[in-house]
Amino acid sequence: MGQSLDFEFIHENKCKRAVLLFHGMTGSPYEMKKMGKALYEADFDVFCYCLPGHGTSPINIKTVRWEDWYTESTMHYRNLTKKYDEVYLGGLCMGAVLALAIASEYRDVRGILSLSTTLFLDGWTIPWYNFLMPIGVHTILRYYYSFPEREPYGLKNEALRKKIAALQKRNTEALDNYPMSCIYELLKFSKYAQKNMFKVQAPVLLMHAKEDDLTSPKSAEFVYKNVGSNIRKYIRLEDSYHLVVMDNERDFVFKTCIDFLNDLSAYAPKTEKLPPVDDTFTESAGL
Amino acid sequence: MNINMHELIKIIHTLPVSLIAIILSNILLIAGFIIGKLALYKYENAVKFFAYFSVVMCVLFVLYFISILWFSISNLYFGNAVYAAIFPVFLFLPFIIGHFASYEKVHLYTNIQILTLIISLLLALSFI
Repeated sequence: MGQSLDFEFIHENKCKRAVLLFHGMTGSPYEMKKMGKALYEADFDVFCYCLPGHGTSPINIKTVRWEDWYTESTMHYRNLTKKYDEVYLGGLCMGAVLALAIASEYRDVRGILSLSTTLFLDGWTIPWYNFLMPIGVHTILRYYYSFPEREPYGLKNEALRKKIAALQKRNTEALDNYPMSCIYELLKFSKYAQKNMFKVQAPVLLMHAKEDDLTSPKSAEFVYKNVGSNIRKYIRLEDSYHLVVMDNERDFVFKTCIDFLNDLSAYAPKTEKLPPVDDTFTESAGL
Repeated sequence: MNINMHELIKIIHTLPVSLIAIILSNILLIAGFIIGKLALYKYENAVKFFAYFSVVMCVLFVLYFISILWFSISNLYFGNAVYAAIFPVFLFLPFIIGHFASYEKVHLYTNIQILTLIISLLLALSFI
């Protein structure tokens, strides 16, 4: 499903460092491509695969369960650990939840890039009738209802919005709505991830937009407070919305991610030692 | 016909408001699910239609739940233990059906949902 959207950026000379990226809910690897290229240029082999139910028709996404996303992502991760000394995980939105969930199960994850982590759907574009969601989600109505995607499409950058809106109309690279059944699976997966958050030992870099339209910084704050990692960095972005890998601060996001991974890589894998304890919270200066 | 209507209005006036609310919300939910079922595959891309449709259905469910609770509590107060015990079952049924439902079998589970609504409607009517 959706294999044509998958990407693998592999160096010719055997690279020992790999980053496995996960895209967000109703998205596709398309949204991670620029980040993938930036990581590739920084000497990482980069992989990103379409999650089950994504990248094809909107109907397919209604038939998948969170276990399908998790099982397939874990399989990709295990495959990479056989070939690379260092495997890092990175994700946007639900992809960040996937990265954290895998790291809670596998202690050999070297580091996590958790971008716009979506544990709670409480952003400012969530409709006013959201209080009815428990009824919609837990009854048969979840197969009828979809949140229509609308402006700003997760982007503060207005020029990019038109491009994304056009892509969403094609309903392959990104959907123009969030099916409630998909949200139901995400919320169940979110509960699983929250319960296991303390098991995450890998260093975590959290980046979340202050004005995220889909999920407020509460999700990132939850991760920051509850992960078991000694190294955790939380950077709050001032000039982006949900799609931080495409929005105004994307270059800053890429650079920060690369610096974070390079710092970790400097210590791994020969010594098995981790960098000194680092527990920081910063705000980007509206870059 | 006029006499019948007059009598019907008189009967309605004697009914508890909670029972009228159960009957009304039941009828509207049944009608809503039938419309939803017929439209789901035919107009699947009408995202906005289904968004508003589902919001209305959620509001109807809220009305349905409140009226069931209200009706059960008042029956308990007046010593009608059977009604007080039976009706709360219908509070949980939509969630139980929702738990087992899947997209592949959405029509089957919608039918089950409609059937439970019809049963609760008949039960409510039996009170008259």
